[in-house]
Amino acid sequence: MKLLNCPVNGSRPVSEFAYGGEVRAMPPADCTDPQWADYVFHRSGIPGVKVEWWYHIASGTWFYAERDVSLDRILRTWLPGESPEGEIR
Amino acid sequence: MTAPMTPVRSSPVAQALVARKAQWAPYRGMPCAVSVSAEDARHSAAVGVCDVSGLERCGLKGSGAAAWLEAQGVRVPAGANEWVALPGGGIVARLARTEFLIEDGPSGTEVRRVRPLIRAGIDGVTPVLRQDCALVLTGERVPELLVQTCNVDFSGVPADGPGLTLTQMVGVSVTVIRRELNGEPALRLWCDFTSGPYLWETLVGIAEELGGGAVGVAAAWPELHAATGT
Repeated sequence: MKLLNCPVNGSRPVSEFAYGGEVRAMPPADCTDPQWADYVFHRSGIPGVKVEWWYHIASGTWFYAERDVSLDRILRTWLPGESPEGEIR
Repeated sequence: MTAPMTPVRSSPVAQALVARKAQWAPYRGMPCAVSVSAEDARHSAAVGVCDVSGLERCGLKGSGAAAWLEAQGVRVPAGANEWVALPGGGIVARLARTEFLIEDGPSGTEVRRVRPLIRAGIDGVTPVLRQDCALVLTGERVPELLVQTCNVDFSGVPADGPGLTLTQMVGVSVTVIRRELNGEPALRLWCDFTSGPYLWETLVGIAEELGGGAVGVAAAWPELHAATGT
């Protein structure tokens, strides 16, 4: 059983979570159509360590997870606003 | 002028209990299943699944919810995923950090006092409609039922301790606390009412395989039975 550590609820089976996608910077409101299309439709498939959104379904908790997608290994999880590096944009 | 209608509440699992020919008594405007069969006491001692959706409850959330509740004289759990007891058998549960569930016990009055005060427009407070399917699990074989339905081991959670768990049971998001009822440790469950019938049927089905089944409040929660006045 794969386990994921929710920052609020603790270690739980990954079946209790939903993947929310890689954290990416949204283009400004006055961006061009190609810029917006790139944001909406294009994803980075490069393996490595990425910061992703994850959601604990039972409690409705959104949080960040740093995951090595090449190994499917969660390195750490934290709540928005609680990272020592500051908010991810 | 016509007389105002008396609202009648209905449990999310009422139809399932009607099919089992449960005996009913009114409790605060909702029919409450007092007994389900003559085997209730035996079922409750093995694995009893009891519907207590008729207990009154209310909810609120937001950054100002904890301070607002304290200002109303309601004791608030200190940490995330904790609960405290209310007079009359009720609870105040802190769901994650900034959401609260208040449920009156059989003889409690706190929800009736606080619920009318919760409204939109209070700074940092959002009302949350609570129409939960609320259940009680009793009996010595409850751990065996949990092994088949849930990923969390509640055996280490002290009864009447502060711990509250938000998890999933047979795929349904549930709030769980362990507390003492009728002098025995029991589990209290809450889930969204739309998932109630599925959760109920699944738990009752497994409970029957374990020698238990659906039970009424007379066997599972005598104080609630007494509050029905029957």
